[in-house]
Amino acid sequence: MDNQSNMEQVFQKLGDLKQFFVFGQKIVPVFQKIIDFMHDIVPLLENVNNSIHDSTSKIPKAANQINNVTYATEIATSEILDIVDSMATDMTRIKNELIDLRNGFFNQRVALDRFGDELKPLNGTYDSLKSSLCIDDLENKVISLDSIIRKIENDSSNITISLQVQDITAQQLASVNHLIQSVQKRLASLLFDLGKQTEAVLPGLESAGHLDERSFNENAEYDRTGKHQALADNLMNSSKKASQEEIDKLFTK
Amino acid sequence: MGLKFLVVDDSVTMRRIVANSLKSIGYDSFVEAGDGREAITKLDSDGSINFVITDWNMPEFTGLELVKAIRSHERINNIPILMVTTRGLKEDILEALQAKVNNYVVKPFTPQVLKEKIDQILASV
Repeated sequence: MDNQSNMEQVFQKLGDLKQFFVFGQKIVPVFQKIIDFMHDIVPLLENVNNSIHDSTSKIPKAANQINNVTYATEIATSEILDIVDSMATDMTRIKNELIDLRNGFFNQRVALDRFGDELKPLNGTYDSLKSSLCIDDLENKVISLDSIIRKIENDSSNITISLQVQDITAQQLASVNHLIQSVQKRLASLLFDLGKQTEAVLPGLESAGHLDERSFNENAEYDRTGKHQALADNLMNSSKKASQEEIDKLFTK
Repeated sequence: MGLKFLVVDDSVTMRRIVANSLKSIGYDSFVEAGDGREAITKLDSDGSINFVITDWNMPEFTGLELVKAIRSHERINNIPILMVTTRGLKEDILEALQAKVNNYVVKPFTPQVLKEKIDQILASV
């Protein structure tokens, strides 16, 4: 009886073993597929890792180039301002010369009139002399030159206003730079987690220049419509009628 | 006593533009500072400065911090302050108002706008 029981147990175990082998036969191809998949995916992950590393290492250069653009435009703007200043000095000199010329013409006319009064017997000679000196024509030319100079001064003033674009674009570029550096920090952190990078911050990150968020306005825009100034004027005028408490209330809205 | 301006901006270009604008509207007396901290130093050392024109966005010490520092300063808390900035959003202007700027100019500005705001401030103080 014991032998029969033992044999039944052996057969049961053999049945279990057979089921295990059948299951194994089914599962082995799945494992094989997983191994093949891992075989394929590891180089791909390595590529992604290398690509992130390459991109991250290029960011400081991009950030530096943006800083260089800002620096170059500041230098160029300064040079233009030098020229505008020099033009303004020249214009002032020309204006003073023109004032002297107009005063000279006035004195000439007074002298000529006195001469005409004193030498009335000369009859037509005085009128002929006055006409040949062309004082009126020359004076009109001076007036015309004066108006041209005023136009040049006005144009110079407009150039100066337009040059404010340098400050505005510098702030926009600083904002982009800040964004780039934030992305780099994230990527560097990712690389650190992946074990590719031994430090959380890649070399070169600091060389791109530390950007204080307070040093730029990400919403800076070159707008000459005056809409922002109109809004500022409006709020300023309202505030003159309002108490500090009301201003504080406006601010918290 | 004539006006002596302190022009505060981290951009050399903007300081020149503000200074040129001041000259074009008849003001020749001014000193410059590159940020709020330098501005405070100049205000402490030069008692003849009686008008401040400041930018907002500057590293280290912003224009807004400068306004607050001046308003809490015993000797110079009444000095007129004109904010000249790229910040044109309502909340920015209200924040400057809350800090007690006397007037506000949004860049880009013309010398005429600068004169208008200076005149308004001088008429009200």
